Amino acid sequence: MKLLYMGCLSRANFPEMCENAKRIVNFLDSEFEVLNKVPCCGSLLHNTSTSQDQSNYMSEVYEWFKTNNISEMVTICAGCYNYLTRYYPEQFSEFNIKIQHLIQFISEPQNLEKMNLEYTGKKLTITYHDACHLRNARKPIIEEPRHILSSIKGIKYKEMDNNREESFCCGSGGGVYSSFKENSDYNSRLILDQAKRAKLLLTACPFCYTALQRVNEQYKRSRTTVMKFEDFIVKLMEGSELEV
Amino acid sequence: MSDKNKELYDHLKGLIEKIDESDNYYNAFTDFWRIACAAQNSTINTKYKYDDSSKEFIEKYKKQLSDIRKELVNNIEYYVEKTMKSMEKNKMKVHYAKTNEEAHTIFLEELGDIETVYKSKSVEAKDIGILELLKENNITVKETDLGDVLIQLFDYKLPTYQVGPGIHFEIEKIVSKIKEVYGAELPPKAESIVQFFRDTYRKELLNDVKVSLTSANSISAEDGCIVLLENEGNISLLTRATEKHIVLVGISKIVPSVFDALLMTKMVERTNQADLAYISFIYGPSATSDIRAHSVQGMYGAKEVVIILVDDWRTNAIKEDLFYKSFLQCIGCKTCSFYCTASKAFGNVYGSKYGIGAIGILRDYIHNGIEAAVRDGLYLCTGCEKCTNWCPAEVNLAEIMRSLKKIATEKGLAPPPLEKYRQKIKQEKNPFS
Repeated sequence: MKLLYMGCLSRANFPEMCENAKRIVNFLDSEFEVLNKVPCCGSLLHNTSTSQDQSNYMSEVYEWFKTNNISEMVTICAGCYNYLTRYYPEQFSEFNIKIQHLIQFISEPQNLEKMNLEYTGKKLTITYHDACHLRNARKPIIEEPRHILSSIKGIKYKEMDNNREESFCCGSGGGVYSSFKENSDYNSRLILDQAKRAKLLLTACPFCYTALQRVNEQYKRSRTTVMKFEDFIVKLMEGSELEV
Repeated sequence: MSDKNKELYDHLKGLIEKIDESDNYYNAFTDFWRIACAAQNSTINTKYKYDDSSKEFIEKYKKQLSDIRKELVNNIEYYVEKTMKSMEKNKMKVHYAKTNEEAHTIFLEELGDIETVYKSKSVEAKDIGILELLKENNITVKETDLGDVLIQLFDYKLPTYQVGPGIHFEIEKIVSKIKEVYGAELPPKAESIVQFFRDTYRKELLNDVKVSLTSANSISAEDGCIVLLENEGNISLLTRATEKHIVLVGISKIVPSVFDALLMTKMVERTNQADLAYISFIYGPSATSDIRAHSVQGMYGAKEVVIILVDDWRTNAIKEDLFYKSFLQCIGCKTCSFYCTASKAFGNVYGSKYGIGAIGILRDYIHNGIEAAVRDGLYLCTGCEKCTNWCPAEVNLAEIMRSLKKIATEKGLAPPPLEKYRQKIKQEKNPFS
């Protein structure tokens, strides 16, 4: 079966994001399903467990995938994408579930064509933040979001100075956000400083989104809106006004 | 579970608070370091005096450099032996120290009754614990790199940037410190401070040095040559205007040939965006054969060159296939720190007495254990992998940091909020449920 894999943070904190992801994915392929009680990929365990615990947990998750006959997954979290495609095949040599991040999935030519995205509102400059997990993955996702954005009629795309491989980290990965928010206080602001020429800063990682959004609200000088990629896409699909 | 993790967590939280206060060493360093990182992050593509940018240089030679470094790691015993033989042929006196303690004994023997050692900047000396040793034995260490001279002047104990250790001191404070210590009144200008040390200290370095201590940027096994990179001329003086030049260096600085050694050294220079004045290739003590072709050692340069090759943790990391084995490929360029997310946010809160950044923390772990690493800020690392991505020598520092976190978890040293996530994932298969 084809599974839309939501990820722990999105499920807990961003239900509308999950709903939007489902809408996009099912618009493109109605076979993708959302299941309840899906185990988290365990990426946080890489920073907060013993090797043995981590390995055991991954075995449990892999068993769950097998029991539910998962053959294909689309993830909406950059972290899930990175860890599922990096560490699971390392531990389980027979692991052959096809895994794509939502951005990869949307950027496939037939999907982009089907979506035929267009923006008709007032002048809009957009920038995109490369999440570490997408940049560092075994199969990095770097050009795909740019490909999607360049296909959208009516928007202007502007890169930040540090982009692609040179992009900054938001400072919230590796479990640091839970213990030391001060990291994102500084690093997310560096990103927001570079994004200020754009009205909209898009990110495809719920962890980056959490940090950037929080710091942006505190940062009085910022006139940029931080938005999750799928929320932006759904607004275009609906043709609704963007509140930026 | 003990409350050790909470104690360490609170300790770090306390230090982090200092960064946002004003006028303390954490705040002063971090403010400066953030500017340095911003400059480095944007200038890696500029060309300076070269036709290619540093980034292009790294991309062009990264594979070659990594191959050289892996060649050493895979054949370390062979290269140590080869290096020692070549150096002996070059009339250097070579010691092999299995442990840091052995290196200390050898070093003290080589010092004899000397009471003052003039030293160049050396991360290796710190790793080998030589500074503490000299202090315990009441031997005066005179730093010669201006950055380290300032560190000594201020009696600065906190972690600092290994390449420019005194770079964060404010000019007014340096001037007032010089007045306090030397009684000299200087205008608050970099040029005046430099001129002051040139006028006073340079004479001493030219005339009074009996024993000098340096490390090496790289060592060529093939021809037993040590390569040293510098900008101030202090190393040039210390290695020439001395009776005895002692080189204390980890065996991981060895590379197969002198060309490899030059590449390793150039990589340090280019990754630091620095146009440095000197590279020294030292093949042995000074000598002359001008008196009827009779070779006499010790003409104008050093009379003796003593090499102490230190193993300590290095061969063991290879033999035991330890998780930090790839750290042996490190060339000491510190590129990892410039790109590090935690380093930018936390400056010298994130590091150890071996220096700032993840490699400072790793060295502390190697010598002092996991609790030291947690205290140094192990859990400030976001796993962004910038260190691994930018490393010109393919050290997988990001994975090493993850392994350290796993060891810390086993010892119950993870920060309390993370510990909570761990329990939730195990019990409910979701950290945020």
